[in-house]
Amino acid sequence: MSSVERNTKGDGRYWRSLNELADAPEFRRHLEREFPAGGDSPPAGVSRRRWLQLMGASMALGAASGCRWEREEIRPFVKRPEGHVPGVPERYATAYDLSGTGRSLTVTAFDGRPIKVEGNANHPMSLGATDAWAQAAILEFYDPDRNARVLLREQAGQRAASWDEALSCLRAAIGTAREAGGAGLAILAEPDSSPTRARLQVRLREALPAATWFEYAPFSDDQCRAGAVLAFGRGARSQYRLGEADVIACLDADPLGHHPAALRHARDFAARRDPDRGPMNRLYVVEAGYSTTGVCADHRLPLRAGHVPTLASALEQAVTVLLDGKSPAAGDTDRDRFVRVLASDLVEHRGMGLVVAGPNQPAAVHAAVHRMNQALRNAGKTVVYTALPDEGRPTHVDAIGQLAQAMRDGQVKTLLVLGGNPVFDAPADVAFASALARVPESFHLGVYNDETSRACRWHLPRAHFLESWGDVRAYDGTYSVTQPIIAPLYGGKSAIELLAALLEENPPGPRQLVRETFQAVGGGASEADWRRTLHDGLLPESGGRPLELFAQPRSASEPELAATSGDGGFELVFCLDPAVHDGRFANNGWLQELPDPLTKITWDNAVLVGPATAERLGIVHESLATLARGGRSLDIAAYVLPGVAEGSLMVTVGYGRTAAGHVGGDTVLGVESVGVDTYALRTAEAMSVATDVAVSVAKGRYRLATTQDHHAIDRVGAAGRDARVGQLVRATTEEHYRQHPEFVEHVVHTPELKSLWAEKAYDGHRWGMTIDLSKCTGCSACVVACQAENNVPIVGKRETMRGREMHWLRIDRYFEGAPEDPSVAIQPVACHQCELAPCEQVCPVAATVHSAEGLNDMAYNRCIGTRYCANNCPYKVRRFNYFNWHKDLKDARNEVVKLMYNPDVTIRHRGVMEKCTYCVQRIQAAKIEAKNAGRAVGEGEIQVACQQVCPAQAIAFGDLADETSAVAAGQRSNRAYALLAELNIKPRTEYLARIRNPHPLLGGTPELSDDERSGHTG
Amino acid sequence: MNETYIPRWLDRAKPFLGVGAAVGTVYLIVVVGFGAAPRTTDVGYSPVQPVEFSHALHAGQYGMDCRFCHTTVEGAAHAAVPPTATCMNCHTTMAADEVRGKKLKLVRESYQTGRSLPWVRVHDLPDYVFFDHSAHVARGVGCVSCHGRVDQMERVWQHETLSMAWCLDCHRNPERHLRPKGSVTKHDWEPDEDPEQLGRRLRQEYRINPSTDCSTCHR
Repeated sequence: MSSVERNTKGDGRYWRSLNELADAPEFRRHLEREFPAGGDSPPAGVSRRRWLQLMGASMALGAASGCRWEREEIRPFVKRPEGHVPGVPERYATAYDLSGTGRSLTVTAFDGRPIKVEGNANHPMSLGATDAWAQAAILEFYDPDRNARVLLREQAGQRAASWDEALSCLRAAIGTAREAGGAGLAILAEPDSSPTRARLQVRLREALPAATWFEYAPFSDDQCRAGAVLAFGRGARSQYRLGEADVIACLDADPLGHHPAALRHARDFAARRDPDRGPMNRLYVVEAGYSTTGVCADHRLPLRAGHVPTLASALEQAVTVLLDGKSPAAGDTDRDRFVRVLASDLVEHRGMGLVVAGPNQPAAVHAAVHRMNQALRNAGKTVVYTALPDEGRPTHVDAIGQLAQAMRDGQVKTLLVLGGNPVFDAPADVAFASALARVPESFHLGVYNDETSRACRWHLPRAHFLESWGDVRAYDGTYSVTQPIIAPLYGGKSAIELLAALLEENPPGPRQLVRETFQAVGGGASEADWRRTLHDGLLPESGGRPLELFAQPRSASEPELAATSGDGGFELVFCLDPAVHDGRFANNGWLQELPDPLTKITWDNAVLVGPATAERLGIVHESLATLARGGRSLDIAAYVLPGVAEGSLMVTVGYGRTAAGHVGGDTVLGVESVGVDTYALRTAEAMSVATDVAVSVAKGRYRLATTQDHHAIDRVGAAGRDARVGQLVRATTEEHYRQHPEFVEHVVHTPELKSLWAEKAYDGHRWGMTIDLSKCTGCSACVVACQAENNVPIVGKRETMRGREMHWLRIDRYFEGAPEDPSVAIQPVACHQCELAPCEQVCPVAATVHSAEGLNDMAYNRCIGTRYCANNCPYKVRRFNYFNWHKDLKDARNEVVKLMYNPDVTIRHRGVMEKCTYCVQRIQAAKIEAKNAGRAVGEGEIQVACQQVCPAQAIAFGDLADETSAVAAGQRSNRAYALLAELNIKPRTEYLARIRNPHPLLGGTPELSDDERSGHTG
Repeated sequence: MNETYIPRWLDRAKPFLGVGAAVGTVYLIVVVGFGAAPRTTDVGYSPVQPVEFSHALHAGQYGMDCRFCHTTVEGAAHAAVPPTATCMNCHTTMAADEVRGKKLKLVRESYQTGRSLPWVRVHDLPDYVFFDHSAHVARGVGCVSCHGRVDQMERVWQHETLSMAWCLDCHRNPERHLRPKGSVTKHDWEPDEDPEQLGRRLRQEYRINPSTDCSTCHR
């Protein structure tokens, strides 16, 4: 294991990949090409000759049809709904459930069609923010692959059927089961926080007492629940108050990333990362691979997931000893030192600290954490406990195992699967698919005709949350109603509709079902109460009350906190994927193309290994590795990622779908799967960590579409950049910052900058942006938000490999320090709207020019595609349409996709350059509204898409001419600096330097000291 | 052997080449410059509408205000075409006679079946242009400035080119198209004073400073 000190000290050199650090030949080859391999190749598919022929023909056609464009029709409403103004976007509050936790949203509808999702600013768990998954819901909603209708599997394959057929078949099966009190009927549901579903579940149990109900999701909080039972004698949910915590210790936990309350956590955490606003918090993370939380850590200890229990045990001992006033056992390894410092920091900040354990850790770790939080008097302050909505349910692993056993034993005559995709994601040793084959009558209610639907006799299309009534409870218990924004596109039904149809011949409508629940949960009886909840998107004060819980001392029956993996060998850790989640979003192109926050892989998954482990295994980057376990094996590309704990192999799940659709892979359609299905190695007893994995090098190489080395310039330039990354990402420690508040100014000293051109004066609005590197967690929600707002296309894996990705906002990730244990810097980069923009000087047709408010405008219809501007852009944020990415829209199958686009933003055609516009359509809309009302545009009235979605509020946007605006205050602050300011391009976007808060005993040396890297050369 | 063979007659044609080039250039200018100009192709465009609705009758003879039907013009980008229900507000209460009965057949059908009337769009800007009616109406630009005397049109035709040059003409010198805000929808409005002077005064009063930035219209 490498040194913790090195982690914080570093040598000050930043790098983007191991190849770059080692100056590997591949990287050099990559650099020496002006464009990535194939980047300068002509459009594939159509030969030039054929293209000219086609063009000739279409010109002739164009001439024949006259010079006017298409005849358009205006079809007004017959009776326009009151208050509706055609073309004016409307916003509605709604909510959706992801893996058993509700999330409150506001959805923008344009002429009745949802086009954009935002968080609900009134909701305590969102505060206006969303994650990438919610942002991508729009694409999922319009996905033509959802158009499956009711399907019945027969000998020849699936055939279209009707809801009437399906329901009568289902009712007949239930009628048979009813005679036996429900025996023979089993329901497998995905976890869902819906109180209406819970109510119907109770009614079903009353009607059919012998029917069985199981719940399963591949990732659950079962261990957290079991840990609470160990500690408190009952289940409880921990609600963290990260904003109150001065010291946060995460044991294989990711409260800022994969956590149902991550949005709120990120907001609270980030609020304590601004050194100019009160004391900063300090974050310690122990983890095997990098999580979002690990990226933000002040101290990160890479440790095998299987070794975390022993560390937790050592930490508990050290805390106990310190609380007793004694000094903890001395030890000299990095890990001992880490534990000692962390324990003393926690004890020092008693009542203001917080220890968090992750869902991958066994129950005993959670129990130890509960005891520590109590002993440290954190409980009740930085962590409060609320009741579980479904206390006492069996664990998901047990449930799926019991169900599969019952199916194999022939006890299940009728199976109804409500959501989820167990055929794909159940533990491999449960052999769910083969058990399902024994069930005579099976139904799957799913958004897609997926693996489970194809294995069941019936596929029932499920209504998307944007087109159905429902209700949810957020992580804190707050009740919200899901209201449909549009009528079901493909005739789907929601889970509650289907359940109600089972209970009654003529069930009440879904709205009525939810309305009844609303009254039952205390929402009030009046129509006004109901309407207020619909409007606000939540029922206030409906969250869970804090419980007074007391953690029992460790009982003798409690399992020992022992390492679950040995020192030798390897452990294989299964993680949720930051893009496709558990596989459910595999057919979502926005998420598939979203670069992983750390690896920057798109359109794939890989096994992540640390450099030392890779060396031990003989694995090189992008080689194929064979992972074998219990008679099952798979070949997967290896990605050598710095900072992965020695002996750990990390894989994310959700790839390798065989029935996802045209994007994620489909064997019936002949679409190759994206990535590799790693569920194949996941078994019931090793849901999070498998220790008995055999790894060998497979033959062959595999190219991953990573975006991390894109836009690297030539060797001379790269060397210059390497020397300069410290200037690009300016960071220091809090201590150093307090002593040298003006440190950012001294990173680069340049001679007086003189402009070659007459500088323009700006007397109106001056739009500007700040991005706070102290707050940004790299969660990437902004990338998808930008894509949804600005009609940014996806390009696919092949074109991404050629550097043709279209994201207007990219997130640069740099490593610093030793490869085994580096620290990470994250920097979102979009167009900086330079006042003296280099791109504008080289455009031969004035397609990119400056506006009076300082925006670097792009006139798409003028652009002739020379790409000079992209070449001359120092930030490399301009994106070129090498193809007509929207060509597919002409396909009749994709007719519905046209409804998805933001009508306020032009769809760019092939041969046109594009880039971030500061969401100029939002600026113009706000300006017109304000001017019509005869007032000025107020501060905060314009929120750009990336800013609005950011859970950490790292992005500020506004008018620099307004002294009181947040962005003006940000740019005045000590931490503000402009990227490449020495080029005298006067960017409007500025960064706020990253300030960390390391513990002095763990190497609080500034990452950047004045004498080491001062830039006093200029 | 490698020499290129040039026919002798070309020598005689040489003097005419210049003439040919000149004629060709003129021809190109005429065809492209005038033949394909918006002034030729767009102005006067008057598609046949599904219902023979007469603006001359409603807006002219009856003197109905534009906003009676195009209700959203002051608050939204679109001056929305009215719903069928707007027609029926009046046409249900009026006595039926044969002529109106035939003319209104589609309208009544639409109202009964709930299917929209397929009006044909007359003023159609390219999809990369974002025009906002409210921004113009709220600043005293008269409807007539862009749409012409709709109150005299039996069937609406396009009165202006709606080309970018035409937009910019006004954005650079808006004075000629400004009128008191109360008279925006008055078709027959005439200034009492010197139009130039009034325009300058209104520009100052309404603080009108039209932008010619690309992003004003292209987003």
